[in-house]
Amino acid sequence: MDELEQKLLEVKDTSELMVDLAYSSLLYNNREIAQEVMELEEYTDELTSSIQKEAIRRAMSDGDASRAFVTIKLIESLEGICDAASGIAGVVMKNVEPHPVIKMSIRESEVTIATAMVIEGSDLSDKTLGESRLASQSGMWVVAIKRGRKYIYGPDEDTVVLVGDTLIVRGPKDGEEFFKDLASGKTRLS
Amino acid sequence: MEAPLGHEDGKEKVPRTVREMLTEMKDTSEVVVDLAYAALVFESQEMAEEVQHLEHRMDTLLYNIRIKAMLSARTRRDAEQLAGLLQVASSAEAISNAAGSIVDLLRHESDKRPFISLVLKEAEEKIKSLTISEKSDMANRTIQEMGVESETGMRIIAMKRGKRWMYDPEGTCRLKAGDLLIVRGTENGFEVLRSYSAGERHWPQYPYDGAI
Repeated sequence: MDELEQKLLEVKDTSELMVDLAYSSLLYNNREIAQEVMELEEYTDELTSSIQKEAIRRAMSDGDASRAFVTIKLIESLEGICDAASGIAGVVMKNVEPHPVIKMSIRESEVTIATAMVIEGSDLSDKTLGESRLASQSGMWVVAIKRGRKYIYGPDEDTVVLVGDTLIVRGPKDGEEFFKDLASGKTRLS
Repeated sequence: MEAPLGHEDGKEKVPRTVREMLTEMKDTSEVVVDLAYAALVFESQEMAEEVQHLEHRMDTLLYNIRIKAMLSARTRRDAEQLAGLLQVASSAEAISNAAGSIVDLLRHESDKRPFISLVLKEAEEKIKSLTISEKSDMANRTIQEMGVESETGMRIIAMKRGKRWMYDPEGTCRLKAGDLLIVRGTENGFEVLRSYSAGERHWPQYPYDGAI
Protein backbone atom coordinates (compact mmCIF):
# COMPACT_ATOMS: atom_id res chain seq x y z
CA MET A 1 0.00 0.00 0.00
CA ASP A 2 1.22 3.48 -0.74
CA GLU A 3 0.86 6.47 1.56
CA LEU A 4 -2.52 7.50 0.23
CA GLU A 5 -3.91 4.00 0.68
CA GLN A 6 -2.48 3.86 4.20
CA LYS A 7 -4.32 7.06 5.03
CA LEU A 8 -7.57 5.75 3.54
CA LEU A 9 -7.22 2.64 5.66
CA GLU A 10 -6.57 4.75 8.73
CA VAL A 11 -9.76 6.76 8.14
CA LYS A 12 -11.77 3.57 7.52
CA ASP A 13 -10.59 1.88 10.73
CA THR A 14 -10.98 5.11 12.70
CA SER A 15 -14.53 5.64 11.38
CA GLU A 16 -15.52 2.29 12.88
CA LEU A 17 -13.82 3.00 16.16
CA MET A 18 -15.59 6.36 16.31
CA VAL A 19 -19.03 4.80 15.85
CA ASP A 20 -18.32 2.24 18.57
CA LEU A 21 -16.97 4.91 20.92
CA ALA A 22 -19.91 7.18 20.16
CA TYR A 23 -22.46 4.54 21.15
CA SER A 24 -20.37 3.66 24.22
CA SER A 25 -20.29 7.29 25.31
CA LEU A 26 -24.07 7.43 25.01
CA LEU A 27 -24.71 4.19 26.83
CA TYR A 28 -22.57 5.25 29.78
CA ASN A 29 -23.28 8.97 29.41
CA ASN A 30 -19.51 9.42 29.41
CA ARG A 31 -18.21 12.81 28.31
CA GLU A 32 -14.61 11.74 28.26
CA ILE A 33 -15.27 9.11 25.59
CA ALA A 34 -17.48 11.56 23.69
CA GLN A 35 -14.64 14.06 23.80
CA GLU A 36 -12.32 11.48 22.26
CA VAL A 37 -14.78 11.04 19.39
CA MET A 38 -14.64 14.80 18.81
CA GLU A 39 -10.86 14.70 18.75
CA LEU A 40 -10.81 11.76 16.35
CA GLU A 41 -13.16 13.74 14.16
CA GLU A 42 -10.61 16.52 13.89
CA TYR A 43 -7.92 13.99 13.13
CA THR A 44 -9.93 12.30 10.36
CA ASP A 45 -10.84 15.72 8.96
CA GLU A 46 -7.16 16.47 8.54
CA LEU A 47 -6.49 13.09 6.96
CA THR A 48 -9.43 13.59 4.62
CA SER A 49 -8.12 16.91 3.36
CA SER A 50 -4.66 15.55 2.86
CA ILE A 51 -6.02 12.53 0.92
CA GLN A 52 -8.10 14.79 -1.28
CA LYS A 53 -5.15 17.03 -2.03
CA GLU A 54 -2.91 14.09 -2.77
CA ALA A 55 -5.53 12.59 -5.12
CA ILE A 56 -5.71 15.86 -7.04
CA ARG A 57 -1.94 16.14 -7.15
CA ARG A 58 -1.69 12.67 -8.63
CA ALA A 59 -4.38 13.36 -11.21
CA MET A 60 -2.46 16.44 -12.27
CA SER A 61 0.64 14.39 -12.88
CA ASP A 62 -0.85 11.20 -14.37
CA GLY A 63 -4.02 12.69 -15.86
CA ASP A 64 -6.22 9.98 -14.36
CA ALA A 65 -9.16 12.10 -13.23
CA SER A 66 -11.52 9.13 -12.77
CA ARG A 67 -9.28 7.50 -10.27
CA ALA A 68 -8.90 10.71 -8.31
CA PHE A 69 -12.66 11.14 -8.42
CA VAL A 70 -13.25 7.67 -6.97
CA THR A 71 -10.71 8.35 -4.20
CA ILE A 72 -12.34 11.66 -3.32
CA LYS A 73 -15.83 10.15 -3.33
CA LEU A 74 -14.75 7.28 -1.11
CA ILE A 75 -13.01 9.47 1.43
CA GLU A 76 -16.05 11.75 1.52
CA SER A 77 -18.25 8.81 2.41
CA LEU A 78 -15.87 7.65 5.12
CA GLU A 79 -15.73 11.17 6.49
CA GLY A 80 -19.55 11.15 6.47
CA ILE A 81 -19.47 8.19 8.83
CA CYS A 82 -17.01 10.00 11.10
CA ASP A 83 -19.26 13.08 11.13
CA ALA A 84 -22.23 10.93 12.03
CA ALA A 85 -20.27 9.38 14.89
CA SER A 86 -19.46 12.79 16.27
CA GLY A 87 -23.13 13.71 15.89
CA ILE A 88 -23.98 10.76 18.13
CA ALA A 89 -21.30 11.64 20.66
CA GLY A 90 -22.44 15.26 20.54
CA VAL A 91 -25.62 14.25 22.36
CA VAL A 92 -23.51 13.41 25.42
CA MET A 93 -21.77 16.78 25.33
CA LYS A 94 -25.05 18.60 25.89
CA ASN A 95 -25.90 19.13 29.51
CA VAL A 96 -28.93 16.92 29.28
CA GLU A 97 -29.08 13.32 30.40
CA PRO A 98 -29.58 11.24 27.20
CA HIS A 99 -33.11 9.97 26.72
CA PRO A 100 -33.51 6.58 28.48
CA VAL A 101 -34.82 5.02 25.27
CA ILE A 102 -31.38 5.54 23.68
CA LYS A 103 -29.77 3.28 26.26
CA MET A 104 -32.47 0.67 25.82
CA SER A 105 -32.00 0.69 22.07
CA ILE A 106 -28.25 0.23 22.35
CA ARG A 107 -28.71 -2.62 24.83
CA GLU A 108 -31.37 -4.28 22.68
CA SER A 109 -29.65 -3.99 19.36
CA GLU A 110 -27.95 -6.90 17.62
CA VAL A 111 -24.59 -5.37 18.35
CA THR A 112 -24.40 -4.35 21.96
CA ILE A 113 -21.83 -2.73 24.22
CA ALA A 114 -20.65 -4.07 27.55
CA THR A 115 -17.93 -3.46 30.12
CA ALA A 116 -16.12 -5.59 32.65
CA MET A 117 -13.12 -5.21 34.89
CA VAL A 118 -10.30 -7.70 34.55
CA ILE A 119 -9.79 -9.36 37.92
CA GLU A 120 -6.62 -11.04 39.21
CA GLY A 121 -6.49 -14.58 37.90
CA SER A 122 -8.47 -13.81 34.75
CA ASP A 123 -7.17 -15.43 31.56
CA LEU A 124 -7.27 -12.01 29.94
CA SER A 125 -4.73 -10.43 32.27
CA ASP A 126 -1.05 -9.97 31.38
CA LYS A 127 -1.70 -11.01 27.80
CA THR A 128 -1.98 -9.01 24.65
CA LEU A 129 -5.38 -8.93 22.99
CA GLY A 130 -3.77 -10.89 20.16
CA GLU A 131 -2.67 -13.63 22.55
CA SER A 132 -5.99 -14.00 24.31
CA ARG A 133 -7.84 -13.73 20.98
CA LEU A 134 -10.73 -12.22 22.83
CA ALA A 135 -12.48 -11.12 19.62
CA SER A 136 -12.50 -14.54 18.00
CA GLN A 137 -13.12 -16.39 21.28
CA SER A 138 -16.06 -14.36 22.51
CA GLY A 139 -17.15 -12.23 19.58
CA MET A 140 -16.46 -9.16 21.71
CA TRP A 141 -14.27 -6.49 20.15
CA VAL A 142 -12.42 -4.16 22.54
CA VAL A 143 -13.28 -0.55 21.80
CA ALA A 144 -11.46 1.03 24.73
CA ILE A 145 -9.64 0.14 27.91
CA LYS A 146 -9.89 2.22 31.05
CA ARG A 147 -6.70 1.97 33.03
CA GLY A 148 -6.70 4.01 36.21
CA ARG A 149 -7.96 7.37 35.11
CA LYS A 150 -6.79 7.03 31.55
CA TYR A 151 -8.37 5.48 28.52
CA ILE A 152 -6.71 3.56 25.74
CA TYR A 153 -8.89 4.03 22.68
CA GLY A 154 -8.96 1.48 19.90
CA PRO A 155 -6.39 -0.93 21.38
CA ASP A 156 -4.80 -3.36 18.93
CA GLU A 157 -3.60 -6.94 19.10
CA ASP A 158 -0.34 -5.84 20.73
CA THR A 159 -2.06 -4.05 23.61
CA VAL A 160 -1.43 -5.81 26.91
CA VAL A 161 -4.40 -6.14 29.26
CA LEU A 162 -3.62 -5.66 32.95
CA VAL A 163 -5.39 -6.60 36.16
CA GLY A 164 -7.71 -3.73 37.08
CA ASP A 165 -8.32 -2.67 33.47
CA THR A 166 -11.92 -2.05 32.54
CA LEU A 167 -12.65 -3.21 29.01
CA ILE A 168 -15.37 -1.61 26.93
CA VAL A 169 -16.40 -4.06 24.26
CA ARG A 170 -18.78 -4.30 21.33
CA GLY A 171 -20.33 -7.53 20.13
CA PRO A 172 -23.26 -9.94 20.07
CA LYS A 173 -25.49 -10.17 23.14
CA ASP A 174 -24.81 -13.87 23.58
CA GLY A 175 -21.09 -13.18 23.86
CA GLU A 176 -21.51 -10.80 26.77
CA GLU A 177 -21.83 -13.31 29.59
CA PHE A 178 -18.83 -15.33 28.47
CA PHE A 179 -16.80 -12.14 28.19
CA LYS A 180 -17.76 -11.06 31.71
CA ASP A 181 -16.95 -14.50 33.08
CA LEU A 182 -13.57 -14.39 31.36
CA ALA A 183 -12.79 -10.99 32.85
CA SER A 184 -13.76 -12.12 36.33
CA GLY A 185 -11.83 -15.37 36.03
CA LYS A 186 -14.98 -17.46 36.43
CA THR A 187 -14.41 -19.03 33.01
CA ARG A 188 -11.14 -19.91 31.32
CA LEU A 189 -10.11 -19.60 27.71
CA SER A 190 -10.11 -22.89 25.86
CA MET B 1 -34.94 -10.63 17.68
CA GLU B 2 -37.04 -9.84 14.64
CA ALA B 3 -34.88 -9.22 11.62
CA PRO B 4 -35.46 -5.72 10.35
CA LEU B 5 -35.03 -6.75 6.75
CA GLY B 6 -38.25 -8.51 5.94
CA HIS B 7 -38.82 -6.94 2.56
CA GLU B 8 -38.66 -10.26 0.75
CA ASP B 9 -42.25 -10.98 1.64
CA GLY B 10 -43.28 -7.66 0.14
CA LYS B 11 -44.39 -5.87 3.28
CA GLU B 12 -42.25 -3.81 5.49
CA LYS B 13 -43.88 -2.50 8.55
CA VAL B 14 -42.59 0.45 10.42
CA PRO B 15 -42.22 -0.46 14.08
CA ARG B 16 -44.66 1.27 16.39
CA THR B 17 -42.54 2.61 19.19
CA VAL B 18 -39.67 5.07 19.19
CA ARG B 19 -37.60 2.47 20.96
CA GLU B 20 -38.16 -0.17 18.27
CA MET B 21 -37.48 2.33 15.52
CA LEU B 22 -34.26 3.54 17.08
CA THR B 23 -33.08 -0.02 17.68
CA GLU B 24 -33.74 -0.89 14.06
CA MET B 25 -31.95 2.25 12.92
CA LYS B 26 -28.91 1.47 15.01
CA ASP B 27 -28.79 -2.13 13.76
CA THR B 28 -29.23 -1.06 10.18
CA SER B 29 -26.59 1.64 10.39
CA GLU B 30 -24.06 -1.02 11.35
CA VAL B 31 -24.90 -3.74 8.88
CA VAL B 32 -25.38 -1.34 5.98
CA VAL B 33 -21.75 -0.20 6.10
CA ASP B 34 -20.50 -3.79 6.14
CA LEU B 35 -22.75 -4.59 3.20
CA ALA B 36 -21.46 -1.57 1.32
CA TYR B 37 -17.86 -2.71 1.75
CA ALA B 38 -18.86 -6.25 0.82
CA ALA B 39 -20.54 -4.95 -2.35
CA LEU B 40 -17.24 -3.37 -3.36
CA VAL B 41 -15.05 -6.30 -2.37
CA PHE B 42 -17.21 -8.79 -4.27
CA GLU B 43 -18.24 -6.37 -7.02
CA SER B 44 -21.84 -7.24 -6.27
CA GLN B 45 -24.62 -5.19 -7.80
CA GLU B 46 -27.16 -7.19 -5.79
CA MET B 47 -25.58 -6.20 -2.50
CA ALA B 48 -25.38 -2.62 -3.69
CA GLU B 49 -29.13 -2.71 -4.32
CA GLU B 50 -29.74 -3.98 -0.82
CA VAL B 51 -27.70 -1.07 0.53
CA GLN B 52 -29.85 1.34 -1.46
CA HIS B 53 -32.96 -0.39 -0.20
CA LEU B 54 -31.77 0.01 3.40
CA GLU B 55 -30.99 3.63 2.74
CA HIS B 56 -34.63 4.21 1.75
CA ARG B 57 -35.84 2.23 4.72
CA MET B 58 -33.81 4.51 6.99
CA ASP B 59 -35.45 7.57 5.45
CA THR B 60 -38.85 6.18 6.29
CA LEU B 61 -37.80 5.32 9.82
CA LEU B 62 -36.30 8.74 10.41
CA TYR B 63 -39.46 10.44 9.21
CA ASN B 64 -41.62 8.30 11.47
CA ILE B 65 -39.42 8.60 14.52
CA ARG B 66 -39.45 12.40 14.18
CA ILE B 67 -43.21 12.48 14.19
CA LYS B 68 -43.46 10.10 17.15
CA ALA B 69 -40.89 12.06 19.10
CA MET B 70 -42.64 15.37 18.53
CA LEU B 71 -45.95 13.95 19.61
CA SER B 72 -44.50 12.59 22.82
CA ALA B 73 -42.83 15.75 24.13
CA ARG B 74 -44.77 17.22 27.01
CA THR B 75 -42.23 19.27 28.87
CA ARG B 76 -39.12 21.22 28.00
CA ARG B 77 -37.00 18.44 29.46
CA ASP B 78 -38.81 15.89 27.28
CA ALA B 79 -38.10 18.03 24.26
CA GLU B 80 -34.42 18.37 25.13
CA GLN B 81 -34.00 14.66 25.61
CA LEU B 82 -35.95 13.86 22.47
CA ALA B 83 -33.85 16.34 20.48
CA GLY B 84 -30.82 14.27 21.47
CA LEU B 85 -32.59 11.07 20.54
CA LEU B 86 -33.45 12.49 17.13
CA GLN B 87 -29.85 13.51 16.68
CA VAL B 88 -28.83 9.88 17.19
CA ALA B 89 -31.50 8.76 14.72
CA SER B 90 -30.42 11.25 12.07
CA SER B 91 -26.78 10.30 12.56
CA ALA B 92 -27.69 6.65 12.00
CA GLU B 93 -29.50 7.71 8.85
CA ALA B 94 -26.43 9.71 7.78
CA ILE B 95 -24.33 6.56 8.14
CA SER B 96 -26.66 4.72 5.78
CA ASN B 97 -26.35 7.60 3.30
CA ALA B 98 -22.59 7.25 3.46
CA ALA B 99 -22.99 3.52 2.77
CA GLY B 100 -25.17 4.44 -0.21
CA SER B 101 -22.46 6.68 -1.63
CA ILE B 102 -19.88 3.94 -1.08
CA VAL B 103 -21.83 1.55 -3.31
CA ASP B 104 -22.29 4.29 -5.90
CA LEU B 105 -18.59 3.78 -6.60
CA LEU B 106 -19.51 0.50 -8.30
CA ARG B 107 -20.72 2.59 -11.23
CA HIS B 108 -17.14 3.49 -12.02
CA GLU B 109 -14.98 1.12 -13.99
CA SER B 110 -13.26 -1.33 -11.72
CA ASP B 111 -9.79 -0.38 -12.91
CA LYS B 112 -10.34 3.03 -11.34
CA ARG B 113 -10.78 1.54 -7.92
CA PRO B 114 -8.31 -1.31 -7.43
CA PHE B 115 -7.02 0.37 -4.28
CA ILE B 116 -10.36 -0.02 -2.53
CA SER B 117 -10.14 -3.80 -2.28
CA LEU B 118 -6.54 -3.46 -1.23
CA VAL B 119 -7.44 -1.09 1.58
CA LEU B 120 -10.35 -3.25 2.72
CA LYS B 121 -8.13 -6.33 2.79
CA GLU B 122 -5.80 -4.61 5.21
CA ALA B 123 -8.52 -3.28 7.51
CA GLU B 124 -8.65 -4.42 11.13
CA GLU B 125 -11.93 -6.18 10.54
CA LYS B 126 -12.18 -7.85 7.20
CA ILE B 127 -14.97 -8.93 4.92
CA LYS B 128 -14.62 -12.45 3.57
CA SER B 129 -16.66 -15.24 2.11
CA LEU B 130 -16.84 -18.97 2.67
CA THR B 131 -19.05 -21.91 1.72
CA ILE B 132 -20.61 -24.48 4.03
CA SER B 133 -19.26 -27.86 2.98
CA GLU B 134 -21.23 -31.11 2.89
CA LYS B 135 -18.88 -32.35 5.60
CA SER B 136 -19.45 -29.40 7.90
CA ASP B 137 -21.49 -29.85 11.05
CA MET B 138 -22.65 -26.26 10.69
CA ALA B 139 -25.12 -27.52 8.09
CA ASN B 140 -28.68 -27.96 9.35
CA ARG B 141 -28.08 -25.84 12.44
CA THR B 142 -29.31 -22.35 13.13
CA ILE B 143 -27.04 -19.34 13.50
CA GLN B 144 -28.40 -18.74 16.98
CA GLU B 145 -28.00 -22.33 18.16
CA MET B 146 -24.32 -22.23 17.24
CA GLY B 147 -23.81 -18.66 18.40
CA VAL B 148 -21.66 -18.09 15.33
CA GLU B 149 -20.53 -14.59 16.28
CA SER B 150 -19.85 -15.25 19.95
CA GLU B 151 -18.01 -18.46 19.06
CA THR B 152 -15.80 -17.07 16.32
CA GLY B 153 -16.14 -13.29 16.37
CA MET B 154 -17.37 -13.46 12.77
CA ARG B 155 -20.66 -11.83 11.96
CA ILE B 156 -22.68 -13.17 9.05
CA ILE B 157 -23.75 -10.14 7.06
CA ALA B 158 -25.17 -11.92 4.04
CA MET B 159 -25.87 -15.39 2.77
CA LYS B 160 -26.43 -16.77 -0.71
CA ARG B 161 -28.42 -19.94 -1.20
CA GLY B 162 -28.71 -20.98 -4.82
CA LYS B 163 -29.41 -17.74 -6.58
CA ARG B 164 -31.09 -16.07 -3.67
CA TRP B 165 -29.41 -13.61 -1.33
CA MET B 166 -30.41 -13.06 2.25
CA TYR B 167 -29.05 -10.07 4.09
CA ASP B 168 -28.34 -9.83 7.80
CA PRO B 169 -29.86 -13.30 8.31
CA GLU B 170 -31.83 -13.90 11.48
CA GLY B 171 -30.65 -16.14 14.29
CA THR B 172 -33.37 -18.62 13.42
CA CYS B 173 -31.92 -19.07 9.94
CA ARG B 174 -30.81 -22.67 9.43
CA LEU B 175 -27.65 -23.08 7.39
CA LYS B 176 -27.38 -25.65 4.62
CA ALA B 177 -24.49 -27.27 2.82
CA GLY B 178 -23.62 -25.14 -0.18
CA ASP B 179 -24.61 -21.83 1.45
CA LEU B 180 -22.22 -19.02 0.68
CA LEU B 181 -21.65 -16.74 3.67
CA ILE B 182 -20.27 -13.21 3.63
CA VAL B 183 -18.74 -12.59 7.03
CA ARG B 184 -17.02 -9.79 8.85
CA GLY B 185 -14.40 -10.02 11.57
CA THR B 186 -10.76 -10.64 12.36
CA GLU B 187 -8.35 -12.78 10.38
CA ASN B 188 -7.96 -15.46 13.03
CA GLY B 189 -11.70 -15.55 13.68
CA PHE B 190 -12.17 -16.17 9.98
CA GLU B 191 -9.64 -19.00 10.01
CA VAL B 192 -11.55 -20.69 12.85
CA LEU B 193 -14.90 -20.28 11.11
CA ARG B 194 -13.47 -21.44 7.81
CA SER B 195 -12.19 -24.66 9.37
CA TYR B 196 -15.67 -25.38 10.81
CA SER B 197 -17.38 -24.56 7.54
CA ALA B 198 -15.02 -26.81 5.61
CA GLY B 199 -15.67 -29.67 8.04
CA GLU B 200 -12.02 -29.75 9.13
CA ARG B 201 -13.06 -29.21 12.73
CA HIS B 202 -16.23 -29.95 14.64
CA TRP B 203 -18.36 -27.14 15.95
CA PRO B 204 -17.60 -27.08 19.68
CA GLN B 205 -20.04 -28.70 22.06
CA TYR B 206 -20.26 -27.41 25.58
CA PRO B 207 -21.30 -29.39 28.62
CA TYR B 208 -24.52 -28.22 30.19
CA ASP B 209 -23.75 -24.85 31.78
CA GLY B 210 -24.68 -25.86 35.29
CA ALA B 211 -22.29 -28.79 35.17
CA ILE B 212 -19.10 -26.76 34.77
